Formats: sequence, structure tokens, C-alpha cells
Amino acid sequence: MVNLSLYTVKAVLILDGEGRRLYSKYFHPPHEEISADSLASSLKKQKEFESNLFAKTHGQNSDIMISDDLLVIYREYVDVSIYLIGAIDENEIVLQEAFNGFKDSLELILDTGIDKRSVQEHYDMVVLAIDELIDDGIILETDPATIASRVTKPPSKDIPLNIELNEKGLLSAWGFAKSKLAERLQQGL
Amino acid sequence: MSAQTYKKSEDPHSGSLPDKMAIYQDCLNRFNESPVNPKLCRTLITSLLELLSHGETFPRQEATALFFSISKLFQHPNDSLRQIVYVAIKELCGISDDILMATSSIMKDVQNGSDLVKPNAIRALIRVLDESTAFSAERLLKNSLVSKHPSICSASLVSSYHLLPIAETTVKRFANETQEAVGDLKQLPYPDENSRYYPTTSHISQYHALGLLYQLKNHDKMALIKLIQQFAGHSSPLKNQLAQVQMVKFVHQLVLKDPNSIPQFLPLIANWLQSRHEAVALEACKLTASLSNLVPNDLFAAAVSVLQGFLSTPRVTTRFAAVRLLNKISMVSPEKIVVCNPQLESLVNDSNRNISTYTITTLLKTGTDKNIGSLIKTITKFIHEVNDDFKIIIIDAIRTLSLNFPEECDTILHFLMESLQSAEGSLQFKNSVVEALIDLIQFVPQSKEKALEELCDFIEDCEYNEILVRILHLLGKEGPTTKNPSLYVRHIYNRVILENSIIRSAAVLSLSKFALVKNDPELVESIEQLLTQIKTDSDDEVRDRASIALQFIDSVKSKKDVSNIAQNFIRPTSTYDVVALESKLSHYLSQGQEAFKTPFDVSSVAKYSEDEKKALDLKRRQEQAFNHTEESSNSGAGNGNGTEKGGRKGDRLDDNSFNGPSLESEEEDLLLSKYVDEMSSLEQFQSFGKCIHSSKIVPLTEIEAEFVVKGIKHLFDEHVVLQFHITNTLKDVALDNVEVVCQQEGLSEGLLDEQEEFVLPIERLLPNEGESCYVSFKKLTQNKDDIIVERFSNSLKFQSKELDPSTSLPFEDDEGFQDEYEFDSLFLSPGDYMKPSFVSNFATSLEELPYESVSVYNIVETNTLQEVIDKLVISAGGLPLENSQIVSHDATQHTLKLSGKCILDNTKALLSIKMIKTSKGIAIKALVKSDKESLAEDLSNNLI
Repeated sequence: MVNLSLYTVKAVLILDGEGRRLYSKYFHPPHEEISADSLASSLKKQKEFESNLFAKTHGQNSDIMISDDLLVIYREYVDVSIYLIGAIDENEIVLQEAFNGFKDSLELILDTGIDKRSVQEHYDMVVLAIDELIDDGIILETDPATIASRVTKPPSKDIPLNIELNEKGLLSAWGFAKSKLAERLQQGL
Repeated sequence: MSAQTYKKSEDPHSGSLPDKMAIYQDCLNRFNESPVNPKLCRTLITSLLELLSHGETFPRQEATALFFSISKLFQHPNDSLRQIVYVAIKELCGISDDILMATSSIMKDVQNGSDLVKPNAIRALIRVLDESTAFSAERLLKNSLVSKHPSICSASLVSSYHLLPIAETTVKRFANETQEAVGDLKQLPYPDENSRYYPTTSHISQYHALGLLYQLKNHDKMALIKLIQQFAGHSSPLKNQLAQVQMVKFVHQLVLKDPNSIPQFLPLIANWLQSRHEAVALEACKLTASLSNLVPNDLFAAAVSVLQGFLSTPRVTTRFAAVRLLNKISMVSPEKIVVCNPQLESLVNDSNRNISTYTITTLLKTGTDKNIGSLIKTITKFIHEVNDDFKIIIIDAIRTLSLNFPEECDTILHFLMESLQSAEGSLQFKNSVVEALIDLIQFVPQSKEKALEELCDFIEDCEYNEILVRILHLLGKEGPTTKNPSLYVRHIYNRVILENSIIRSAAVLSLSKFALVKNDPELVESIEQLLTQIKTDSDDEVRDRASIALQFIDSVKSKKDVSNIAQNFIRPTSTYDVVALESKLSHYLSQGQEAFKTPFDVSSVAKYSEDEKKALDLKRRQEQAFNHTEESSNSGAGNGNGTEKGGRKGDRLDDNSFNGPSLESEEEDLLLSKYVDEMSSLEQFQSFGKCIHSSKIVPLTEIEAEFVVKGIKHLFDEHVVLQFHITNTLKDVALDNVEVVCQQEGLSEGLLDEQEEFVLPIERLLPNEGESCYVSFKKLTQNKDDIIVERFSNSLKFQSKELDPSTSLPFEDDEGFQDEYEFDSLFLSPGDYMKPSFVSNFATSLEELPYESVSVYNIVETNTLQEVIDKLVISAGGLPLENSQIVSHDATQHTLKLSGKCILDNTKALLSIKMIKTSKGIAIKALVKSDKESLAEDLSNNLI
């Protein structure tokens, strides 16, 4: 049987240099029951899978392998490894394409290159990039620049409350004060 | 903060993970603030997401509280905050209640948000909807689907796809828009000046649209063909390579369902093979490989040359994919990929060990007797550089190799011994080497003595008890029949002096077997001496075994009437089927106290003689070699199923690639033994004596039929009993007095009474119940060894009664009406009298047998050779030898070699069946040779 489903990616992982989890997402279709034997079903299985995976990939530098009946594409950096995992009968090059989107978009958004510190410091952007890459197992976009351009940076500064001092501004200030007061009163009650 | 959470933050393994409760409190406080601080909120949500990603979860109540406070952030217009809010909503909606409340806020964004957050909003929207509310998103999804912005369009398509399980009818309403989206090449808007990136449009929405469209048209084959015609081919609008891959898969699906449609797709496939996108070309290769014999040879060759090109690219994944596919092809038709050998040989030392292992197993398949030798030399170097998982895979490949190239056994033996003796390698690895050696000794007799000698050297310094014990057992089994048994005795006795008690006791058993060597009285004497010495051993198990062995040897020598029994104890001629024994024993134990009153009946477990056991083993190996495709080259540790099953089988310790017999056949065996038990428990059959043989279960109707009938043939000394297991699949009808009427066709020529002895009908068969009806015939011949061949045409007779829906029983006054139901005939074939048996040298054994019988058949139906072979193997009941049960797809002639023994009197029979495929059909010439003339004739005349 040919697998014609769009649900091609099983998981995306980022592990640190000792195999500990930095980011993990095990995908499953949002409106279907999670089957009991899938990795998405239990944390224990995931941890086991990850430590097994790390043991097999650490220092091997082989980019692609099969582990636990899953196709694994990965890249190891100095103190962090990134993984993309798909079903065993998936088209390897399609998964590689998705992985390239993942890897290259991270390289674009993390200014100092992919390492543990920059992943942790820009965790929000990493999360957003993966969200733009894969949507619950469906490859959403593979072009790294498109992904990077859709990832917003954190708001640059604390935007101050802006009240204009004209008639409309006064009205809105009054409205704001009124709502604030009502809120306080409600909280007091 | 409680003491416990405080401790947790100190835990070195949590790294820099923020504290869960602190984050929870902060989130609730900050998100409810007004005005919200977007920067701080984004940081907080990030920490929250980090927690969730590390596997932390919140109780439902807390998660719901979080969900609500996060939805408060919708009042702030900042896009960069909004984006992370959507991610958080998606994460939380699985563990929170009342998520519908966020719908309207999200919908507002889908309508009025900026182009940046619109896709995020759409994707979050469908996660908060459920079955009853999904329809409300219809207009929004449709509008976004036709949006000019590719990201928005993709988001809408993917979201619709997610919605399919709960709202298919809603999604079906935008089938037209989806169809248009496939061909629509939407461009990303030109990036504004302050953007740092220069996105190129990937047109991936085509891929999403195709995926969705397929699900909508899944059941409509014509629509699918139209889809392919519209979007594939020369003027294809498909720019995205994933979309093109999807297209190849559609074709794949279609031709699998209907092989006749292949010709119309051939130009397309050829075109895809030349695609500039590797993914597309690879998918087309996969398609071609899976069709193998159904596509013209030149197309297959084109696919192979594409793969050949892939082998030398610098991209690891491409090489990996290509070699993996080639490995798969090599299982069925190695001759087709021999052209790739030069490229493959250069990949043996690839830095990716997966690739090199695949390469080696492929080369071992495509290798000819000319290059096997040099190949093994390369592997000898290679094997030191990889880890144990790969080593085991390679040893397994070599093991199957040794069965295929018996003439290379010297090289293989040398290689195996070297791996065994090298210092590196775990127990599992060593065990698989020993496993391979045992195979070699069993199935390649010419290597036996040399291998045994090498093993003797090996046990001199082997650190693993398990392996030592196995080798000692093997020496005991094989040693006494060699030319120079005393050699082994010395090695075994050394173990008694030097090793621990476990090994000593194994060695004692092994020694005692040498006492049966007939032509060397001196040896027997020295064995006795040795055993007498051992009687003073410090370990009582060792002493016991020695005394018992001496006792046995004594009674064998004294030629008393118990000598046979004693001999059997020392050197059993047959062993139990370990798997069956285990399952019977555990069944017995699970029955509880009541059952323990009667002792366990060991005679119910099948026993196998040496030859039969070898036959079984070989069969298992062959099956394994055949199923070897994916799992074997799996990087070893995977395949939990195999490990579990093999472990249960208990006949191998490593089991990384051994799958055991397929699950189906195991289930069938269980079912069969259940039916046989049912039959033998009936009192009508008690007087018949022991059942000699029960056939496999033969399906006699389609499985979708109203009444599903399966037949089993039981042979007794003086009777033939047919068991028909009938299942009533009708929902509202009960069957009363069900009986089977069997009509003989007269092939038995008076050997079987034409009138049945008795029929045991089924009184009542309610819906979805299955029960057995028995028909018994008496043999008219006095000679038990006569083979009776007969074809029974059958029909079912019964009264059908309608059911009262309230009681689910037939109406009281319903008399029902008599009905009949015909089903396939049951053939009592000569194969039912045969059991598989092993001969090591087919050609010489064939010549030795005195009687021969030849018959010729012609099959007109357009079957493939493989189908005919599968049929013949079953109908003749023998064991296929020399891998002759597998034929390559394009072969036009083949010789099937089968070996078996008659179950009645153990006469040998060998079959050599030649077949030639022509345009008119398949011509078969069967040569049967046997110790008994009648057996040879019966077999050859009734093959088909």
C-alpha cells in the first residue's frame, strides 16, 4: 500500500550535547485519537527513544539512519543535535527537503549559528520556525527564507500606553479609566 | 513555592528549565494585567512552551486557567505577541476545557488580521473547533483558500485536511476551490524593504491541495485518473517537487489496485524518472521497483541506471535512499542490478555505516561465485570498524549466503572463525556467529568436520558460558558420526577438567553420546573410564549426570531389552517441537488446580526426527531470507517485534533480524490445533484410534460469503474424517440441523466407502457463530499404507429460521424452510500424506531412489510461475530445496525440487518438477522418485 497521507513527519527534536532534550515535538493528527503505540502517546517512550537515538547518532556523523523502524535525518553541531523523524517508508529525499528547511531556517534566524546557547536564548523564534515548518505532521513549508521571514522577532521594547490628548483621546482615556475602575471593583467583590 | 518544587529547580538534570509553578503564577498575573506588556508576555509564553516541550503537563484545571488568561492577550494588537499566542493555544487546547470560547477572537484575526498572522490564526482556529462547530469555519476557510497569498492558502488547505475526520462534508464543499489551487501558481508578495530575507515561492500549496483533493476523491477511481491526466504530463502546472512526488504516489496507488492500467502510465513514469528533482525520480524508481515484473525491461533498466547515478552523488540521503532501494530489489531479482556493482563496491567504505551495511548485504545478494571470495575479504576488513548491530546484520547475510553458495563454504568458514576468534564483539555477536556455523554444519555437510575442529579450538578459550554449552551440545550431536570421534572427546574432556560446573555437566552429556560409536570399542571403554572419574566431581549435578550416563551405557552394552530405551536417552532420535511444548505447558499451568489431577499428556506434542527438524529449520531460514528486506538492514536494535517473538521461540538469543514464522502462519497453526482438539474430544471418534495426520485448514468459500466454510482432512488408520467449520455471517437468520453432503468423484477406485459412515450435524447455528460438522468415511482397504486420493464435492443442507429480534432466538412456531448451499470441493491429495523432510544432496538422493514416475501437465490459465510453484509446494506437501521455491519474475523456465516423506510408512519421495512458460500457458513435467512405486505414481498423477 502506498502512503498517500500528508502526515509525513513524526517528530522534530533538538537535543543538547549530552542527549538531553532542548525541544521536542511528537506530531499526531489533531482530530484523531492518539494510537497507544505511537511515540506521541507517552513521555516514557519518548525519553527512551531519545536516549536510544542519541546513543546511535552521537559522534557518528552519518546524517541519515533507521532507528526503531523510523527514518531519522539529523545533523550534529558542537553542543546540539537536530533531528527530523518520519515513517520508514517515506520518501527519503522529501524528508531531507523538510529537514533542510528546518536546518537552514534556524541558521537564518539564529545570528550566531546553531548552538545550545542561541537555541535557548531565541527559544521563541525556534518554536515559531518549527511551527511554520510543520503543522502537526504535515510539511507546511520547505523554503528556509520563507520560514524565516514569517518568524517574528520579540517585540523590541515595552510599548508605552499611547493616549492622545485631543477630544477623542480624552474620551478614550475616560473610557479606559472607567473600565479599569470597573475591573478593580469586580476584583474587589 | 513548595519545598519540593524548590528542590526541583536545583536538580542538575533539569538544566536551565524554569520552575513550573512560578511560570504558571506569573502567566496568570501578567496576562490579566492591563495594559499588557507584550515583550514580557512573549518571554513568559516561551518559558511555558519550553516546559511543555520538556514533557511537563498541567492538570486540566490549571491548563484551562492558562488557556483563558492567554486568550486575554488577543486585545493587544502586536503581531509578534499574537504569533506566539497561537502556538500556545495550539499546545494547550489538547489539555484544556471549554476551548471553544476562543473561537470568536481567532475568527476575528482570520478576517481582519495582517497577512503575517492570518495563517497562524487559521491553523489555530481548526484546533479549537469540534464536530458540532466545524461548519462555522466553512466561509473563512473558503475565503482563505482562494487568497492570493500562498501562505494563507496553504494554511487553509492544511487546516481543512486536519478537519477531515470530523467535518468531511464541510470540507467537500470546497473541492472546486481546492482543485483550482493545485494549478494556481501563487507568488509571495515582494518582501518589504526592511526585510532581511528574500523568500522564493516554493509553491508548496500545490502539494497540500493535491493531498486534500486525493482524500476527497479517494473512492472515485475515474476522478483520480482525470486528476492525474490534468496535472501530470508535459504541460504540468506542478512546480513543487513534493506535489510531483505525491502525483507519482497516486499513480502507484492506481496501478497497485489495477495492474492492467500500467501501460497508460508508462510514458509518465519514464518522464518522472528523468525529473530534475531527485525526490521525484526516487519515487518513480520506487514505483518501478515495486512493479518489477509488470513493467517492460527497458523501463526497469532506466530506473536502475537512475539509482546507479544516485550512488555516486555527494548527498548522503540520496545515496542512502538509492542503496536501500537497490537492497530491496536484490531480494527478488539480484540479476537486474548487477550493473551497479562497481558503484556499490566503492560504497563499502562509506562513512555512513547504514549505507555501507546496505551495500554489503546487497553485494552479497548480487555476488556470483566468482566474486564472493574477494567480497568476503573486503568484509573481513570492514567488520572491525562497525558496531555490533551492523556486525550481526552482516553475519546474518553471510549465513544465508552459505546456504546459496555451498561451494564457497571454505571461505565463509574461514571468515566466520576469524570473527569468532577476534577479541572484539559482544555475546550477541558471537552467538550469531555460532548460529551461522551451526547452519553451515547442518546444511552444508562438506564443511562439517572442518567447522567442528575449528569450534574445538575455539572452546579452548571462550569466555561465554552460553556459547560454550551450545558448542558442547553440537559436538556431542555431530561428533560421534565423524571419521575421527576421539579427537573431539579429548577437547570435551579438557572442559571437564578446566571449567565451571555448568559447562562440566554439559560436557558430561556430550561425552556420553560418544559411547554409542559402534565401530570403536576402545573409545567406548575410555569414555566409560572418563565418566567413572567424573563421578568424583565436586558438583552433584555433574556427578549425577555421569552416573546416569554410565548406567545407560551399561544397559546398552548388555543388550537387554531396555537397551533401546537407554540408547534413546543418550542420543534421542527425535525431539519435541519446543514451541508447541511450551504453549501446551503454559496452557496446562494456567488451568489451575483441577487440571493438575491428570498429568500433562506429553504425547499431544508433536515430535520431530532429525530430518524433519532440519527441514523445519531450513524452511524457517528460507522464509527469513525472503522477509529479510527492510528489517534486516535496519540498524539492528530496532524491530522490537522480532526480538519479542524470537525470544519467545527461545531458539535464538540475538534475534535482531529473525522474525519467526509470520504471525499469520502461527495463528493458523493455533487455530488448527484448536479444531483438532475439538474433533478428538468427541466420543464418536474415540474408537478410531489416534489421528495420524490433520491437513492444513482449507478455505472453501470466499471470506465474504454468507456462510464461511473451512475444511480440514483428518486421517485415521481405518477412517477418513472431514471436518467442516461453518460460520454463519447472516445477521438475522439461524440455521438448524446443518449438515454437509459429500459426493465422491470416484478417484479412490473403491478404496474408500462411497457411503459415508455417519455425519455429525450442527443442531443450531446462530448468527456470528462458528461450529464444525463432521463427515466420516470408512476405508475399504486392509492395507494401512495405501494412499487414498479423492475429491469431495460438497453442499450444505440446513433449515433456515428467521430470528425474533427481541429474544435473538428463532420464532417458536417457525418451521423454517429447507435450503442448500454449495461450496468448493475438498481434495484429499497425495500431499496430505506427505511431510517435509530434508536431504542434503538432492541430485544424488534423486538418483538413488529406485522407482520413478513421470507425468506431464499443462496449465492454460495465465498464472505466473511463482503462483504455480506456490500451489505445487502445498499440493505435494514436500520441502522445497536449494531455494527452488523462488523464481525470478522474468524467468521462463524453472525446476522446483521438493523432498518429503510419507506419513504412513516414512517412505522417501523426491520430486523434481520442471516447468516452462510459453505464450500458451505453463507446461509442467513432474519427475517423482520414491522407495515405493505406488507412492511415486500417486504423487505424480495427482499433483494438480
